[in-house]
Amino acid sequence: MDPTRELIDQVLLKTAIAAYATGALVLFAYFLTRNGLYRKIGAPLAILGCAAQLVELGTRWWMTGIWPLTNLYGSLSLFSALGVAIFVIFALRYDLWLVGGPVVAVSAIALAYGTTWNEGYMPAVPALQSYWIKIHVPIVISAYASFMVAFCVSLIYLMKAYGETRFAARRGAVRGIAATAGGPPVDLTLSASTYAATPALGSARIDTPATSQAAAAGDALAQWLEGLPSLARLDVMQYRVIAIGLPLLSLGIITGAMWAKEAWGAYWQWDPKETAALVSWIVYAGYMHLHTRPEWRGVKTAWISVLGFATIVFCYLGVNIWISGLHSYKM
Amino acid sequence: MSDSRAPAAQAPALRAALARTWGETVALFAHVPFGVSLLAIWAVLTLIGVIVEQGRDPSYYAGAYAPPLARLILRLDIENIYHSPAYIGVLGLIICSMAAATFTKVIPRRIPRLNPVKIDAIPLHARLRVAGDPDAVRARLAAFFSSRGWQVRKRAFGGTEWTFADKSNWARRGVLVAHVGFVLIAVGTTIYWATGYSGQFAVLSGQTATIPQNGTKVALERFAYRIDPVRTKAGIVYQPIDYVSDAKVTARDGVTRDAVIRVNHPYDANGTLIYQSTYGFAIDFRVTHDGVPVPGPDHPLKEGEGFVVDGTTRAIQYQRFVGTIDRATGMPGADPRPNDPGVIVVAFDGDRPIGQALLPLGVPVDLGAGYKLEAARYVLYSGFQYRYDPGIPVVGIGAFVLLAGLCVSLYFVPARLFIIVRESGAGTSEVGVAATTVKGYDVFEDRFREIVEALRRDAPSVPHANEAAPAPVLGAV
Ligand code: HEM
Repeated sequence: MDPTRELIDQVLLKTAIAAYATGALVLFAYFLTRNGLYRKIGAPLAILGCAAQLVELGTRWWMTGIWPLTNLYGSLSLFSALGVAIFVIFALRYDLWLVGGPVVAVSAIALAYGTTWNEGYMPAVPALQSYWIKIHVPIVISAYASFMVAFCVSLIYLMKAYGETRFAARRGAVRGIAATAGGPPVDLTLSASTYAATPALGSARIDTPATSQAAAAGDALAQWLEGLPSLARLDVMQYRVIAIGLPLLSLGIITGAMWAKEAWGAYWQWDPKETAALVSWIVYAGYMHLHTRPEWRGVKTAWISVLGFATIVFCYLGVNIWISGLHSYKM
Repeated sequence: MSDSRAPAAQAPALRAALARTWGETVALFAHVPFGVSLLAIWAVLTLIGVIVEQGRDPSYYAGAYAPPLARLILRLDIENIYHSPAYIGVLGLIICSMAAATFTKVIPRRIPRLNPVKIDAIPLHARLRVAGDPDAVRARLAAFFSSRGWQVRKRAFGGTEWTFADKSNWARRGVLVAHVGFVLIAVGTTIYWATGYSGQFAVLSGQTATIPQNGTKVALERFAYRIDPVRTKAGIVYQPIDYVSDAKVTARDGVTRDAVIRVNHPYDANGTLIYQSTYGFAIDFRVTHDGVPVPGPDHPLKEGEGFVVDGTTRAIQYQRFVGTIDRATGMPGADPRPNDPGVIVVAFDGDRPIGQALLPLGVPVDLGAGYKLEAARYVLYSGFQYRYDPGIPVVGIGAFVLLAGLCVSLYFVPARLFIIVRESGAGTSEVGVAATTVKGYDVFEDRFREIVEALRRDAPSVPHANEAAPAPVLGAV
């Protein structure tokens, strides 16, 4: 392999891994301590890692003329970069930096694992030689990345909801979290006398009363949980990211079908990969439906998001590694 | 007489019972958790098909699974799950469930009429006192919301005037669009099941194959492939780059055309797509007994095929082609291109495998008892898949309709504001605002707060009804 290429590749790759590893640690520290300084250091590190990765993939393509997403390394690399990119967009838009620790950690692990599949520069096998690969693969990977971010939000949701059930149980009054997740009616009644007394909404909304009570009584864990966004807010975030992922996954399946139709004459071949993607699609379609029901919205839908991401991991890695097929990258 | 009257008397009761059962069935099918349970069954069946390899012959399952599991797989059609009655039945139930829900829930619930509500019973609500009589305040509110892109409508109910402001009202139809898209995909797939077909065949160079369903003939003149050695971190990898068949195709219209069928570029033979899927090396095996040829296979064998050695209980199976035999080790080399080719064969006595051997091409090997086997030469063959699918346009349209429906229903949040204005004395009015969306309240909480704050900025609340301070006016838009 050309040593200059090798060097550039390695420098960018190592920069990305180092930035993610430290970024994940720092953002985890932010998650644990809520010290804004950690966020100020962690966020640029995450952005640096993401940029280094995208530049690395771009230079690979530019220098070799070979589309870099034809093997598991390229694909996992894009997955981690897009995961971080989607997280950063959400964090900037909705002040969601608290989720950064898990997201950047998953990205770092995905990238580090991806490097074990880095064979160097290989032209694609005939089945993958098509312009469709440039359309289909990035779309599917961005869907996976969205679901990964949603999964991290769901974990935090479940953690906070679990804390609430524990504190409520301790208080001797276990209340269904599903009900709390929907939230008590928000009274925005505005008049000069009541407006000031109206609790702030959004991130500061209290929908974990037992935790709040324990926090007020000085429980350190409860105080820490209190500092997380409200369950309602976490649920809305999780929904919003999945609402990006599901249409992307649908588009990914559709472009895959168009590619298959053009290349192989049949738009659907029950290939293990496309079929596994269909399983994920069904799970997230189920999520969307149950999320319309107040009695399901909350802990149950958060678990479905976790299940959905498990099917994504199976579809992405499980099928590639254990089950061969048109998509296994190793024909 | 009583005999003939009894059924007549029973008829309305029967009709009522049937209507009740029908109503209950529709209600069950329209219940979202029921629909989602069907989706879950669909997901599980689909997942089973990913894990259990599909379409293999029974001996494969007998070999790969414990006997009870293998029997279960074959009995429950798990080896062909996607075409099994259970799978198709679940899809049918999903469509029924979706249809029931669409007509009884989605349309009434997602496209609701303009109705008055109890403002304080809706979690997202606010009340403000502003200056001006109700008519003037209503007019200013209408202007306030219109200028912010809300669709404003007014209705009177029992003498009380209500103002309704809708955002992304059109997007309420997104669910309908998504559901219709799914139905279209199902219709397109059914068209294929009813009238389409597919299959695969292999043709040896110089020979002709016929597609049984429509008589299309494919005469393979030449097959070529390209495999390039690529240096990677793990050493040299032989990467297939291209394969292409030069053929003459006689389609249903009876006209013979020259066809270049290349991997990734299916050939369209009057609507039947023929795809270059694979290739292989067929082998001409020859057997002699004490130097005298004995009848062997009557055609070159493809990988996996075999023959019984005439006059014995022994059989030979051609397992795989070896492009290059490593001269130093005598073992299969990495280069798949035929440089110094050979074949791997397995010998059987009856059903029992008795040995495996690597035979260099053109070199006879001793089978014992005076028999000799020679892999005389190879003939390249080309493997094709074909498919006639008249449902494709419907599936394609359905897929895009579904996607459009998903984007509309997931990216836009249709919201409705219910606004009531009442006289509250001293030249002021009380404005009650409540908001509903199709996705619950949480998703709209921030936005509602912004709206209320904007209203408050534009129309500061009257400090106190009994205070003498002049009432502020709802701001100009
Ligand atoms: C698998 C194919 C299906 C697709 C692609 C699909 C798509 C959708 C979408 C995108 C929504 C809007 C969700 C939201 O706004 O968050 C929706 C809502 C809905 N779907 Fe489906 N759906 C499918 C199957 C079903 C089935 C089997 C049922 C049967 C119960 C059903 C009943 C409903 C209902 C009742 C709603 C409205 C829920 C509400 O507003 O409370 N759908 N569907």
